[in-house]
Amino acid sequence: MAIKSKSRQKKFDTRIDFTPMVDMNMLLITFFMLCTTMIKSQTLQIALPTNEKVEKEQQNKVKQSEAVTIIIDGKLTDKGLSDPNEGMLYYYDGMPETDKLATTGESNMKQIEFGEILQERNKEVVLKIADLKKEWKEMKFSKNEEINDSIYQEKAKKIRNDSTLKRPVVIIKATPNASYAHVVSVLDEMQINNISRYQIDRINEVDSAMMILLQGQNLKK
Amino acid sequence: MGKVKIKKKETRIDMTAMSDVTVLLLTFFMLTSTFLQKEPVTVITPPSVSEDKVPDANLLSVLVSPEGKVYLEVLGSKDSTMKSETVRADLLKNMVAEYKKTHPSANLAFTNKEIETFSKLNAFGVPITKMKEWLNLEPDQRDKFLESEQNPGVPINMNEDPNNPNEFQMWIRAAYNSVNPELQESMVKGRGIAIKADQTTPYSVVNVVMDNLQTMKMNKFTLMTALKTAED
Repeated sequence: MAIKSKSRQKKFDTRIDFTPMVDMNMLLITFFMLCTTMIKSQTLQIALPTNEKVEKEQQNKVKQSEAVTIIIDGKLTDKGLSDPNEGMLYYYDGMPETDKLATTGESNMKQIEFGEILQERNKEVVLKIADLKKEWKEMKFSKNEEINDSIYQEKAKKIRNDSTLKRPVVIIKATPNASYAHVVSVLDEMQINNISRYQIDRINEVDSAMMILLQGQNLKK
Repeated sequence: MGKVKIKKKETRIDMTAMSDVTVLLLTFFMLTSTFLQKEPVTVITPPSVSEDKVPDANLLSVLVSPEGKVYLEVLGSKDSTMKSETVRADLLKNMVAEYKKTHPSANLAFTNKEIETFSKLNAFGVPITKMKEWLNLEPDQRDKFLESEQNPGVPINMNEDPNNPNEFQMWIRAAYNSVNPELQESMVKGRGIAIKADQTTPYSVVNVVMDNLQTMKMNKFTLMTALKTAED
């Protein structure tokens, strides 16, 4: 009996309690989750003309029949910010009819909703791209996804720049009160409607005069 | 005499598996995380369908607050050949040289320590004449001053004369001529400059920045936007 009791060793519990470890890990995870930026912002590439004064003869005049001028207007809030939901769009085709404006007080400027007109104007290109997109979805160019993609991109670019199609040249003008969000969404609209030729330009007196006139007419109604 | 023995259940749960999972998640987050850089103004960029990602290297971002204050951020190359610190230190030296071209009498010199402080800062936006004073502030005071109302940001105005540049244009030129050839290359390609502005910013404010870039012949640049899915 005496020998037996001597050999009895106290059994230690070999299991370690992991709960504090888990607690700490969870804390760290929360920290990292809150501090990381998973979504990277997107960018929109734009190209503007140089500011240098170009000789009149060198300037490329846009064909009147192709030109569409879009004017973006907005409202300023009390804080001097521009409300992105209060944007207004106006447009006119070709040149502003200044003679008519001076004599009868009528202009060819109209107010539009977003996305209107542009799709209509660029119909030939939009339809062709839609066809192309169908083929792309069916993987007609290649079985390989990447090759299929690159062929599609190349073909789409060709269509967008195809001079035999009727394509509009969009001139975008923004009033000082227009919100940045609205300008970006108009630029976006160019991408959505596959318009390859667009330009940001400065607003001039004729444009603002026509806009004030139109706003006055809208108020009367 | 069968005594009913109640089996004593162990109440402790084995946490090993749980620990494994958490450690795994932790490793994942640690490896993928890029820390949010502190910015002097918080801006909400407008949504767009564009799917181009912002480059995470060789980038000069122009942060525009809705009131029209301009801040600049410079990033070096991705690998360690041209660290952001090196590029920024060089940028400040270039800027001093640029500034002295139009203000030859200006007493503008930075100590090595000041340049080092500058190279570690993510964003800056103070007039160059105040730069020295700003760099010598305590870190938290520095952030406060950057955000404060008395700080005008990088001085900018409508200026179409490239021979008589304003400070913003000088910074652009200094960045263009920096030691990092990759930054210059991406600026020419139009991916090196990004404008980050809030969606409520009036166009007149953004227009000033765009016009300044045009004057510096940086006609191609990008606008930072947030992702919006197209209806299609």
